[in-house]
Amino acid sequence: MRYVLKYPLFMLLLFSSLSNDLFAKELLITDIPIQEGGRIKPLDTYARNQSLAFYGKRKIKHEKLESIDWLLNLFTHPEKGLDQQVFNIRNPEVVNALELEWTNNFHRYSYNEIFPGVEKQLTLIRNIFEKKEEDRDVFESQMIEVYQNVMKFREIVSSLSCLLPLFTVQSPEAAQYLHIEPGQLTSYAHIMSHRESLFGISQGVLTKPESEWSNTEREIALLLYNLQQASSDEFAKSLKIIPPSENDSTGLWISPWELFDGRTIEPHQDKIIKALESYLVARFEGDEKSQGSALKAYKAGLLSYSGDRIDFSVLSKERWLNKAKLFTNSLVFYIIGFILLGISWMIKPDLLRKIAFGSLGVGFILHTYGIYLRMVIMSRPPISTLYETVIFVGFVIVLVSLVIEYLRQDGLGVFIGSISGAMLHYVGFGYAADGDTLEMLVAVLNSNFWLATHVTTIILGYGTSLMAGLIGHLYLIEKIRVPKDSVRLKSIYNNMFGVTLIALFFTLFGTILGGIWADQSWGRFWGWDPKENGALLIVLWQLMMVHMRLSGLAKPDKFALGMVLNNIVVIMAWFGVNLLSIGLHSYGFASGIAVNIILFTVFELVTGFGTYYWARSRKKLAV
Amino acid sequence: MKRELIRICSSPKLFVYSLVWLMVLVTVGTVAQKDIGLYASQQKYFSSYFFFIGPLPLPGGRVVLALMLINLVSMMFKQNLWKMKKIGVIVVHLGGIMLLVGAGLTAVFSSEGSMVIEEGSKSNTIDDYHITELAIINVSDSNYDQYTVFGQPLFKSGNNLMHGDLDFDITILDYMDNATLEPIQGSSSIGFKGMLKNFNLIEIDRDTDDMKNRPGIIFQVSGTFSDVDGVYGLIFGQSVPATINVNSNQYVMALQKKKTYLPFAIELEDFKKVMHPGTEVAKSYSSKINLVENNIPRPVLIEMNKPLRHEGYTFYQASFIESPNGEETTVLAAVHNYGRLFPYISSIIMSIGLLMHMLVNMPALFKKKK
Repeated sequence: MRYVLKYPLFMLLLFSSLSNDLFAKELLITDIPIQEGGRIKPLDTYARNQSLAFYGKRKIKHEKLESIDWLLNLFTHPEKGLDQQVFNIRNPEVVNALELEWTNNFHRYSYNEIFPGVEKQLTLIRNIFEKKEEDRDVFESQMIEVYQNVMKFREIVSSLSCLLPLFTVQSPEAAQYLHIEPGQLTSYAHIMSHRESLFGISQGVLTKPESEWSNTEREIALLLYNLQQASSDEFAKSLKIIPPSENDSTGLWISPWELFDGRTIEPHQDKIIKALESYLVARFEGDEKSQGSALKAYKAGLLSYSGDRIDFSVLSKERWLNKAKLFTNSLVFYIIGFILLGISWMIKPDLLRKIAFGSLGVGFILHTYGIYLRMVIMSRPPISTLYETVIFVGFVIVLVSLVIEYLRQDGLGVFIGSISGAMLHYVGFGYAADGDTLEMLVAVLNSNFWLATHVTTIILGYGTSLMAGLIGHLYLIEKIRVPKDSVRLKSIYNNMFGVTLIALFFTLFGTILGGIWADQSWGRFWGWDPKENGALLIVLWQLMMVHMRLSGLAKPDKFALGMVLNNIVVIMAWFGVNLLSIGLHSYGFASGIAVNIILFTVFELVTGFGTYYWARSRKKLAV
Repeated sequence: MKRELIRICSSPKLFVYSLVWLMVLVTVGTVAQKDIGLYASQQKYFSSYFFFIGPLPLPGGRVVLALMLINLVSMMFKQNLWKMKKIGVIVVHLGGIMLLVGAGLTAVFSSEGSMVIEEGSKSNTIDDYHITELAIINVSDSNYDQYTVFGQPLFKSGNNLMHGDLDFDITILDYMDNATLEPIQGSSSIGFKGMLKNFNLIEIDRDTDDMKNRPGIIFQVSGTFSDVDGVYGLIFGQSVPATINVNSNQYVMALQKKKTYLPFAIELEDFKKVMHPGTEVAKSYSSKINLVENNIPRPVLIEMNKPLRHEGYTFYQASFIESPNGEETTVLAAVHNYGRLFPYISSIIMSIGLLMHMLVNMPALFKKKK
């Protein structure tokens, strides 16, 4: 036990290194709030999502650039950004269609490389757009994806161009109109905020013929022309970082360019946009100190907004979660645990098994903390998407494994926990690769009470059911390996039956709770919807196993086999019903999932029946 | 003999076999939804006593559940069950009995339908989702309409429908679950009246979504001894009503969804749809209504997960219709269910029972290694 006690110390070290800036009082550029996907998130998450969408990774790996730096560089140096190779095109056909060279390992292209090809293929793209989404083939949907990415990228690149210092005048008189020193560079935003002082002189420019213009008027005319040119970036409205006006009822945040479309700029918006401008200038000049004071002003601007309160601690928590990669680290500890356990079986010191146990525990703590932080950030119960069910089932299995290991102390718990914890994390990464995993809820799910009770219970049921199946596997293997060790077999069998009872409790209770939710919100307890039927099948299967045991129809071997096959039922209920793409619960559908389900089913059938008959044949030999 | 009967009826093997068959039903009934839709699949496999595969009759959901109920009840008569050690088991199975009894009550007595109300208007009728009825409405009196209604179970070919309030008899010729109209080229057969003079009413394949099905009916009107006698056809949701005149009485005939009249009315004041800002994802739907009873209105807000319960009826926010000119119509699901408390009580009992059983047994199943 004392080895286990050393781990908290280690954890403390790990956390203190990661959480240095978690409790920082000052606003960081990564933490400035932006509205996307219906919620307020830190700019860091936005940057990661964009990088994931264009580049395929959450940072620009080949330039060793964090996504936030990449995004900010785009804002300060738009021209450079257009030459940066950030578009990941995975399909050689698409590359050919855009008249680009296919490179085997890298195949990433810049905006300036892709755009001419896109322009040439506009008729083709328009044609694909007219097709229904489900009728498009792989090439066509990827073509559309590239087109949309290119357009979105163009928009992002220009979204802060109104804040860049691009304009100047030389004559002192003209400079006075602009409220700058002669020769000093200033931005579109700055000039627009003093547009009333420019009004008089620009009238002169417009009414007089060119030959009668004074020097100042000539400069102003040129400036007006340049401003006109710059305002072609007006379309770039994707960066929603300015809180709405005080009397707004839509809750829609606005982008910097929208602010200059003639509307009244309110004091908090003015403060924010000025602070952002000085931040960009300071960043452009590499002046860290001014960046800090600009961010202070930015925070003051946000604080002066009297609408929905912006929770800075939640923003910094999310940024911290992005960086800490808790689930990845947890996966590492699970794998370490598994390797240590393997070694301990080969050379038999119990010390190694204990360390493996500790490693599983550390992974579990990271796992739990990740789930907890996600709950805090979204202020809702842990499970609401398919991705979150995967993460939570992993959590449940590792938790039960830890308890079993604590009771048995023979490595069985570590074995099951580390393998399934790692595998489920891996499956989770697959889902996370689709984009932001913190999503808003559709109306029908928008009930924290039922999410907390029904959904959590049923997922606890999935997890414990799979756990029982895994012990079933282990039982059959042990039956082959040590058919004579009846004490050990009996204790594994008892554990399996105990977990089955727990699983039955959760699946039964969770299913009934689901019925009650359905009764509360749709008016019927049971509607034979596919997902409901799936959950029911798990309950029925487990009821069957328990009663087969009772009636003597199933001896321990058969019971173990039955619980292995129960895994197939669980996977069908969990993922399989989504394949039918009918019914009220078919949230989150991933194509390609079908193959994985079939592979899993075949695997369970082969290993289940294989080990079962092998164990039986050994028994016969023994007789 | 009695003891033997109880032994067979209460055998856990019977339970296991019923379970296996129920699992087969659930699996088949779920997969079949892809092809025939939820309603048809539910009618065939779950809400039926028997169904046929070819000529072979197989037990449907109701028979299996009834068998399980008998099994559970007879188990209660076993002598060796009533021991303190098995208290958890007893409680779980009592809960199971309650759940099945509740399911039976719901299956027989509950009804559900929808109430469609435009903003600013009022309704006091519930339309059933699936069941139709033939309404013959005497509109001769300007003060009131007199309804005579025949229900769907009567719609069997050859059935004669008669009623004292009607001046004529009706003989059902054909009823179709989903029908369509097809214009007739040339002239129709003699004896066809109303829209059948110009259209053929023909049966088409059922849609998997039962809401999209338009039932049709063909029947003979006789006994008027005038040229009103003849064959008539009606289709659900037809735009021009069918009318006939018999003995200075004017009748409107319609095939409609079965209507239930409520002793109160619901008036829609405002329907509201709120989106997550900047997205196409709905955050909430709600209907601001007035519940009008004895001409006294009471304002109520019906939201997702927050229905209105009144006089044994429950009204849920189910759907909505937006017309191009911005008018909004709410669709409320209305449910009347006598058995609705059973699952609540039985689930609590079953969970307590399972917990008791686990608490009694767990220490033996998870022994700590010394």
